[in-house]
Amino acid sequence: MPQFSLYDEEFHPSPWQRTWASFRASHISMLGLIMLALFVVFALFAPVITPYDALEQNIDGLLIPPSWMANGSISYLFGTDALGRDLFTRIIYGCRVTLGSAFITVVLAMLMGVSLGAFAGMLRGVRSSVANHLLDALMAIPTLLIAIIIVAILGTGLVNSMWAITLALIPQFVHHTRSFVRAEMKKEYIIASKLDGASKWQLFVHSILPNMTEMLVVQGTLALSIAVIDISALGFLNLGAQSPLPELGVILADGLDVTYLAPWNVAVPGMAIFFMVLSINIVGDGLRSALRKRVSH
Amino acid sequence: MTQILVRYCTLFILTLLVLAIISFSLAYLFPGDVLENLTGLVPQNEIQRAALEKQFKLDQSYVHQFFYYVSNLLTGDWGYSFTSGLPLRDEVGIAMPATIELATYAMLMALFIGIPMGYYAGIRCYSTSDYLINSASITIYSFPVFWFALLLILVFSLQMDVAPLSGRISLLYNIEPVSGFILLDILFADIENKSLALKDALSHLALPTFAIGAIATASMARITRRSVIDVRHRPYIAAAISRGLSSWQIFFRHILRNALLPILPLMAIQITTLITNAMIVETLFSWPGIGNWLIQAIYQRDYPALRIGMMAVSTLVITLTILVDLFNRVIDPSREKYERAAV
Amino acid sequence: MSYGLVKRLSLYLCTALVVASCAKQNKQAFYNTGIIYCSESNPVTFNPQLDTSSTTSDASSHQLYDRLLDFDPETGRIVPSLASSWLVTNDGLTYAFQLRKDVWFHSTDYFTPTRNFNADDVLFSIDRWRLTSHPYHYISGGRYPYFESIGLAQNIESVERVNGYRVEITLKRRDSSFLANLATDFAVILSEEYASQLSQAGSPSKIDELPVGTGPFKFESYRKDHFIKYRRHEDYWRLSLSSEDSENASEQTNSEISKEPEIASPPASSSFQSNGGEYSAVEQLIFDITPRSSLRLAKLMTGECDATAFPAQTELEVIRAKEDLILAEKPGLNIGFWAFNTQRPPFNNPDVRRALAAAIDKNTLLEAVYFDSAIRAKTLLPAASWAFQNDADDTAYNPVLARKLLADAGIEPGFSMTIWAMPVERAYNPNATKMAELIQRYLRDVGVEATIVSYDWATFRRHLREGLHDSVLIGWSADNGDPDNFYRPLLSCGAIPSGTNRAMWCNPDYDKLINDALKTDDIEARKAIYRQVNRLLYERLPLVPIAHAYRYQAYRSELEGLTINPFGGVRFGGVEKTL
Repeated sequence: MPQFSLYDEEFHPSPWQRTWASFRASHISMLGLIMLALFVVFALFAPVITPYDALEQNIDGLLIPPSWMANGSISYLFGTDALGRDLFTRIIYGCRVTLGSAFITVVLAMLMGVSLGAFAGMLRGVRSSVANHLLDALMAIPTLLIAIIIVAILGTGLVNSMWAITLALIPQFVHHTRSFVRAEMKKEYIIASKLDGASKWQLFVHSILPNMTEMLVVQGTLALSIAVIDISALGFLNLGAQSPLPELGVILADGLDVTYLAPWNVAVPGMAIFFMVLSINIVGDGLRSALRKRVSH
Repeated sequence: MTQILVRYCTLFILTLLVLAIISFSLAYLFPGDVLENLTGLVPQNEIQRAALEKQFKLDQSYVHQFFYYVSNLLTGDWGYSFTSGLPLRDEVGIAMPATIELATYAMLMALFIGIPMGYYAGIRCYSTSDYLINSASITIYSFPVFWFALLLILVFSLQMDVAPLSGRISLLYNIEPVSGFILLDILFADIENKSLALKDALSHLALPTFAIGAIATASMARITRRSVIDVRHRPYIAAAISRGLSSWQIFFRHILRNALLPILPLMAIQITTLITNAMIVETLFSWPGIGNWLIQAIYQRDYPALRIGMMAVSTLVITLTILVDLFNRVIDPSREKYERAAV
Repeated sequence: MSYGLVKRLSLYLCTALVVASCAKQNKQAFYNTGIIYCSESNPVTFNPQLDTSSTTSDASSHQLYDRLLDFDPETGRIVPSLASSWLVTNDGLTYAFQLRKDVWFHSTDYFTPTRNFNADDVLFSIDRWRLTSHPYHYISGGRYPYFESIGLAQNIESVERVNGYRVEITLKRRDSSFLANLATDFAVILSEEYASQLSQAGSPSKIDELPVGTGPFKFESYRKDHFIKYRRHEDYWRLSLSSEDSENASEQTNSEISKEPEIASPPASSSFQSNGGEYSAVEQLIFDITPRSSLRLAKLMTGECDATAFPAQTELEVIRAKEDLILAEKPGLNIGFWAFNTQRPPFNNPDVRRALAAAIDKNTLLEAVYFDSAIRAKTLLPAASWAFQNDADDTAYNPVLARKLLADAGIEPGFSMTIWAMPVERAYNPNATKMAELIQRYLRDVGVEATIVSYDWATFRRHLREGLHDSVLIGWSADNGDPDNFYRPLLSCGAIPSGTNRAMWCNPDYDKLINDALKTDDIEARKAIYRQVNRLLYERLPLVPIAHAYRYQAYRSELEGLTINPFGGVRFGGVEKTL
């Protein structure tokens, strides 16, 4: 017997629930989310999933083709590389390294960017104008350039390339936070809080920050896809992570040496980066249109 | 108007000054000898070293050194490369136009394909063709550019053998770099096989331009589509519809111009992405541009080259960004400041 | 409605394709006028006297210059070049060279010769590296690594001009490898006239940057990391040399030369050129500098290069499978090895070196790095050398022994060392980094933590010369067929400052043995001495010999006349292109 609720129309889904509902309505977005979740699972549980060690060389099994090819072996799903390392294992670990470092990079950039942006947003006068303009100009410097400079000063390495990308990502968070804070500061609820005697710190933490999370999530997914591409690009160019560390870009660059003999060594890591970025972009896109729908309704 | 111009000029000069300070301090931050990093000259003995230090005012305060450095930059004395021993100004002078050329064609591709596609998708939003364009663009946009370029090489160079994969032109041609833009240089060059050379240069351009251009086109289409959809939800469109204007009239009178305005500032970000992608693609296609040059310089730890290359690339990018910004302010004064929306 | 979009896209693609395919047609005539060679790295200089790296000699030695003598690429024998004939006195100390007349130096935009090649040029070229008092000796650094490493300058008593076309060289001691050394890539002939013009102009260092020689091609331009361009030398002497002349010249040589050991004996074949009497050269020669071997192969496949340097071992099958590509191969005169810096403790202890050698499995390295296109090395000499010793002792893979030796030498588990892996591909070691990674793993098994170090090639070699390494993976390609060319540069005391002795190893017994070997022309006697040398090396083990690799050259079938030169650099003189 269907249950009849008199108060049904009283139920108001929270903003997040409404966003989720409209996100879920899009099949493509859900597909992207599942893909992304898969990558996250890979990253978190890499040691459990993988059959071998990422650095373990098997001299008797150099360049074994992937399992779907005629002389492939099921014990090496994606085949092996020029040093006999299991490619599947390296890709899974690669997801961990690439996605993990990209995530850390974005979180770092977000923390710094939001604090700087909030500070800049609350500043007034010439100081703020100068700071803002400079920031805008410096924002235009390409990541690759920053990375090259950092490599020149500190040397190559995954951590150094992460610093470079963090530096390159900070300005956009600063920018968005600043515009957001400026816009909010003019709104009435802020003025009301001000009249209540809230300090600037209280204003920011209690009134502005909660309203900013959605913007930050959207910006975060955007930054994440950029960070993944940049980290793997730097690895590929031999300016970031160094072989034998299983980073997707590095694996791809290593594979280039044996392209003709073992094309899967280039194809598989490339696909992995591509699908990782694609899933992040689809989720980000879905999230944005879901938010937009909620706001416009 | 004058006020805006003055303001932008100050901003520009201020930014350049900051860049000059950074580039000067790099000489101290880089490993190795400050004098060598700053000049690219390696003194053979102590007497020579002392003379050079005196010449570059390294015996004086940082402020003096800096001003001498800036005056050298302005007079075109940029120092020498460690590895080739050539003046850096000449090297940058050859490499920079190659990158600008590549980026320009890719940008044109993005403008002439991406924007119309974005309009089309925006007008027909939530239709099948819109979904098609949208998914195609998000797919292309997700390609890591280095892998995309590799795929292009694999398909078009190695499998189909329709386009070469390295350089700007077959090395058999001797084209004097006058403007630095290969197509122009061929037109003005005094050689016998002009049309042959032109075809060769075009076929060399095809793949790298496509690699960068496709990604720029995809993001351009997405930006335009978003902007068109936003404009279509504006009240004045509803008003126009209620007045009985046909969809063509609405498109040409209201949507076309209004959707274009928010796109312009977003192009500023595109420039950075475009130059970064161009720099990566250059290394894959052995394109003799500034990105390739910088990456070779870092591999060989050519510090003077890095110092100047950093200065040159960021000046280029910032100049373009500020110009786009200024242009935007001029045609759309209502906007207090441009906004950087998500792609 | 989406077909509009599709149409636009396909239209764009079509135009791109049409443009591209148009460029493919009717270009043959023009594209036949030049050869493009994909080389692997930047030359350090354009004077091969100054550098032993094969990149430098590839880009200069056979393209820009000639030597007094040459090796026949087919037989390996010494044949006349700028010296049309030579005469050795019976005591083996004085060599008289008759020079070719009517040989012209390049005329370029920076130099126009007013006289042809004569004895002054020979004197200048030899004295430059021989005499420290020579005005040009210290130009461009004053290091002549090849000649230093074999100690040739110390052994030459005098170089004298008899007349304009006759030069006499007197040695202090007999040296059975002397003629071979004059035929190496490094013994090039420079122009004395150009040098004196430059010193008048006050810019002597230009002699090595803007080279002038007598070779088949003249220098046109060089852009680092991109290309080197050469043009045909229109007055090249071999172009006007009819086959008759060269026959006469060789016959003359035949009669004049007396007791020379087999390797330096006069040519049996009548003509030097392997492709027959007619000598020709293409209008343009271009070196396209492409460090990545996969990219070099890609360019070879698309026809952007006509020939490439050092195809990677992994790519050989692909080249063999392509119809329009040719893979030439020859057992190479080279050795890839792992050298310990014997001046640094604990590597000064032979037991430690033996322990590390026992920790690695050479066969695995051969498989994984060379893909079986190499022969396991027991000594420094490859089987192609006449002094090769088949039953020489060899180290064996024995981690138990390694651990024991290390423990006896007082090396704690967890001891860390560096393995320097050279950053470039060479026939003798196509992928040093990969080899280093494999060795790293083997060393971990015996409790040694190795870190891999690599710099760009120029820095790498500078640091090696300074002795900053613990151990290094590098090798040596012979410049002539004489066994002395392996033993002396690689491990003699005199080769430490010149930077070819990577082990920094100096042993008086060893030096005495290899000096003794040069005092006789008797092959069997020399072989016996080299046996002792091998025994000594096995006991002291300053370096672990790893492999003798095959040499490969890949080129498009349009090229005719390209041969592998077993003794050093590639040569494009006489190569033709027909589509």
